Amino acid sequence: MFLAWSEIKKNKLRFLLITSILLLVSFLVFFLSGLANGLASMNREAIDSWKVDAVLLTEESDKSLYESALDRKIADELDAKETAVISQMGAIANNGDTKQNVMLFGIDREEFIKPEVSEGDPTFYVQNGVVASDVLKDEGFKIGDTLELSSTDTKLTIVGFTEKARFNASPILYMKLNDMQKIKYGDAYTMNKDLVNAIVIRDKDWATLSLPDNTEIIETETFIESLPGYTEQNLTLTYMIYFLFVISAAIVAIFLYVLTVQKISMFGLMKAQGISSAYLARSVIAQTFILALIGVVLAFGLTLLAGSFLPNGVPIMFDIPTMIIYGVVLIVVAILGAVISVWTIIRIDPLEAIGG
Amino acid sequence: MVLELRNAKKTFGEGNTLVEAMKETNFLVERGELVAVIGPSGSGKSTFLTVAGALQTPSEGEVIINGKELSQLNEKQRSKIRLQEIGFILQASNLVPFLTVDQQLELLNKVKKDNMTKDEQRKLYEDLGITKLRKNYPSDLSGGERQRVAIAKALFSKPAILLADEPTASLDSDRAFEVMELLRNETKSNQTATIVVTHDIRLIQYVDKVYKMTDGVLKLESSAEMALDSTE
Ligand SMILES: Nc1ncnc2c1ncn2[C@@H]1O[C@H](COP(=O)(O)OP(=O)(O)OP(=O)(O)O)[C@@H](O)[C@H]1O
Ligand SMILES: [Mg+2]
Repeated sequence: MFLAWSEIKKNKLRFLLITSILLLVSFLVFFLSGLANGLASMNREAIDSWKVDAVLLTEESDKSLYESALDRKIADELDAKETAVISQMGAIANNGDTKQNVMLFGIDREEFIKPEVSEGDPTFYVQNGVVASDVLKDEGFKIGDTLELSSTDTKLTIVGFTEKARFNASPILYMKLNDMQKIKYGDAYTMNKDLVNAIVIRDKDWATLSLPDNTEIIETETFIESLPGYTEQNLTLTYMIYFLFVISAAIVAIFLYVLTVQKISMFGLMKAQGISSAYLARSVIAQTFILALIGVVLAFGLTLLAGSFLPNGVPIMFDIPTMIIYGVVLIVVAILGAVISVWTIIRIDPLEAIGG
Repeated sequence: MVLELRNAKKTFGEGNTLVEAMKETNFLVERGELVAVIGPSGSGKSTFLTVAGALQTPSEGEVIINGKELSQLNEKQRSKIRLQEIGFILQASNLVPFLTVDQQLELLNKVKKDNMTKDEQRKLYEDLGITKLRKNYPSDLSGGERQRVAIAKALFSKPAILLADEPTASLDSDRAFEVMELLRNETKSNQTATIVVTHDIRLIQYVDKVYKMTDGVLKLESSAEMALDSTE
């Protein structure tokens, strides 16, 4: 540590450069992780809030909620602990000022899926009343607003707002199943009123349930991963982050190697004096650790600071545990980058440094 | 007896390109003894010194330091011997560029025990005339000052063996005499075995013995020859 620190203090500019590069890369990693997390939660936060273990869909729907249609009576035949039905429909809602893409979710108010409101009436007492995702508040929607839908003449009324109610990147409007079925099927309502998209299940032993023909039960995580675009988006961002790990390792490796090569004769002289390679190697590693730690910690703070200035619409959500893990990975990766330098130091022949 | 070369020989290359940098050499230096090695450039003085200082292994023969046969040791153990037993003062300045004079010595405290006390260190600085330079970095020292700091560094670890390759090369003659005087005092008071390689024939008045290196052959000069050399 003595050697490591002394050198950093003497050659501040040199080490400031490498620290700031590490800082920028870490900043980018943290930001991308926030973006990945934010985009993921736009897709899945509603499902996560239901705390369900599995989802029952029709077989031919290929794990898509939108393509699935089954009879809600199936729920009664299932031997599951708790179930809830969902009837779904996409729409464009217009409160007179703003148009917004939304997802209508018809639900049975007696079942667990009923949203907890953060504001407003939890009973959906009004006919065609909806409890809306609170992200709509930022778009100018208010309790009492009357909503026109693109596909029907029926008007909805916002009776409350709830948190964590986005599904596949759209805000949800929860409403009574019956009201919903009328909108969805129009004239064909009587014939189709029991037709829902999915039955969500709370039961740890869901895999052992006996299922009716032509239905399929899938784990919640699989269901989420099958949402259109979800996996692709996630993988893209994850690969970018991994790639940044590789880049930071390479930057550190190159930079330290150049520094080490410049100091070969100095290391040689110290080795001639009998200072062990291990001591010198430890010093280089300590140096890398100090620099990486400073860079990552500063980037961490800077990310959170920058995050607090972002407008609401930006889908960035920082997950501190994930950031800490990535921070540790960045430091470890930087230290791996020092390996080439350590190897170089070990191979230095003290005699060469002494010369004539 | 602290350092001995027994039939030690150092060759480089093979066949046509074979260089016998140091022919078969027997050499012995006792504690408290100051010896000089003189000889023309390329005669093998540095080779001799680095073999004796456990920096390279002889092609044949044995080097024995404090009773330990170096051929029996691996590089790690030889490195330890260098750290514990030997002080080097080298032709090129052997200072770490980003450490101050004080820190150069402090580094040794980090890797090794039984170095000089604070008082001894202060006295050493006085003797070498570097007290005022203790906070300086090597880049802010003159060549001669750097050389004196290198000497301080070598003496600081209180080595049993002190090996100096042209320690006075970048000093003016007054300083050179002072440094030899200092090396002599250290040799006597710490019972160090000191070998000084030098071109400067005027310095041999300070030493107990003079060896002459010619084409890889190391030979003890008789006092008569010494006298003759010094009057040249
Ligand atoms: N690593 C090596 N490989 C090949 N030849 C070498 C090597 N080291 C030294 N020599 C040769 O051995 C001979 C002795 O070299 P050495 O460095 O010991 O001379 P020196 O007496 O110290 O000279 P100087 O006074 O110029 O420092 C020279 O001919 C040199 O070229
Ligand atoms: Mg030489």
